Amino acid sequence: MSELIGSNGLIPRVIVCLDVANGRVVKGVNFKGLMDMGDPVELALKYQEQGADEIVFLDIKATLENRANALETVTRVAKNLSIPFSVGGGLNSYQDVAQFLKAGADKVALNSAAVKTPELINQIAEGFGSQCLVVAIDVNKNDVDDYAVYIRGGHVKTDINAFDWFKEVEERGAGEILLTAMHRDGTGIGFDNELMSRVATERNIQVIASGGAANAQHFIDTYKAGSDAALAAGMFHRGEFRVGDVKQALSKQNILTR
Amino acid sequence: MSQISIKQKVQRIGVINTQAGNLFSLFACLKRIGFEPLMINQPQQLDTSISALLIPGQGRFGQVMSQLTSTGLDKVILEWTKADKPLLGICVGLQVLFESSAEDPGVSGLGIFKGRVERLNSPKQPMVGWSKINADNAFLDQQIVYFVNSYGVKTSDVTAATVNYGEQFVAAVNQGNIWAFQFHPEKSGPVGEEMMKQCLN
Repeated sequence: MSELIGSNGLIPRVIVCLDVANGRVVKGVNFKGLMDMGDPVELALKYQEQGADEIVFLDIKATLENRANALETVTRVAKNLSIPFSVGGGLNSYQDVAQFLKAGADKVALNSAAVKTPELINQIAEGFGSQCLVVAIDVNKNDVDDYAVYIRGGHVKTDINAFDWFKEVEERGAGEILLTAMHRDGTGIGFDNELMSRVATERNIQVIASGGAANAQHFIDTYKAGSDAALAAGMFHRGEFRVGDVKQALSKQNILTR
Repeated sequence: MSQISIKQKVQRIGVINTQAGNLFSLFACLKRIGFEPLMINQPQQLDTSISALLIPGQGRFGQVMSQLTSTGLDKVILEWTKADKPLLGICVGLQVLFESSAEDPGVSGLGIFKGRVERLNSPKQPMVGWSKINADNAFLDQQIVYFVNSYGVKTSDVTAATVNYGEQFVAAVNQGNIWAFQFHPEKSGPVGEEMMKQCLN
């Protein structure tokens, strides 16, 4: 009988991801247009009621001109949600982070900005605490054992080795890594658990698995591989699974849930 | 039909302003569960309309204590607890009820409870996430709540609940009408909201 995962520490989290643009939750359609999925607060509350442990808002258009709009959304979410939530996408500076935390976000997620200015991680950890800083890392598998870090929403390849970057991010004081395996994103074949398991073994920072989830078994597999949390969007948004369904499946596998 | 409306008396909660981070979620949570939060910046603001005090869970030990002593709110809290009026401390708001902390050695806490806040040997630092707590008290026992901390109290004679992450430490303390949680009830979903209601009523 395997050990009850989560019984002697933190329970593995089920995180729902919402893409936000101009104050609405959106879904990309064939890289061309954005489909309106609804109000961020209503959708976040729906997933909170379903049992989500956390919500991640990726403001895919947090450009300067609609910054006020994004901040207003964050405040509305903070007023209504009774579980933690993170905000990411388009945050570039210490001031950006300060603004979003002040608006009520529990955590911020930095991606490209952290790659461009790694000292930002130290500054935010010192200024606001590691607990509020998630570093989002997009990686793509080059070949068997080699992962490259991508920035700008996965559009630009860097020459940074993913495992060097995980180490640096941890040492600079990030609280968590949101690790998206781009080669799994949208495939529905499950998380890259080889990668997640390696991070869990080699590093001492919480890892949120992202990219590839399409059913409850994928969550079970990644927690067993060592992921501290796992994130999905489509399988929940399309209504194929409720968060509660995933939690039920976890319980049956001796994985503690709330 | 007469136009008489019966105004239900809403309990006012004095939230101690520790000037450490936003209190947005906390205020929203208090309102959601039917309380009227009032920010307390200085002792003069405390009047008889306030039924309970709350020390919020943002910031570090030394920063919060310095704010309390410079405003004189430390004395207000001590008098309040001596009279056994309802008080709820959250996270660092639990920690300042003790004598001192490894986070800021040399800074005295309120010393309402005996003991020192220690750095925790969490498997991953800081502890961020949901954990199950153990208690004798039925409304706390086996509940899964949200923790965000690197420091904590390892043992206390007023322990009401414990939690285990790498090692066991204090999740909640209670003495009379004083309650304090190391976790964040305002981020712990309906379970946390219910706990706050119980402790502030």
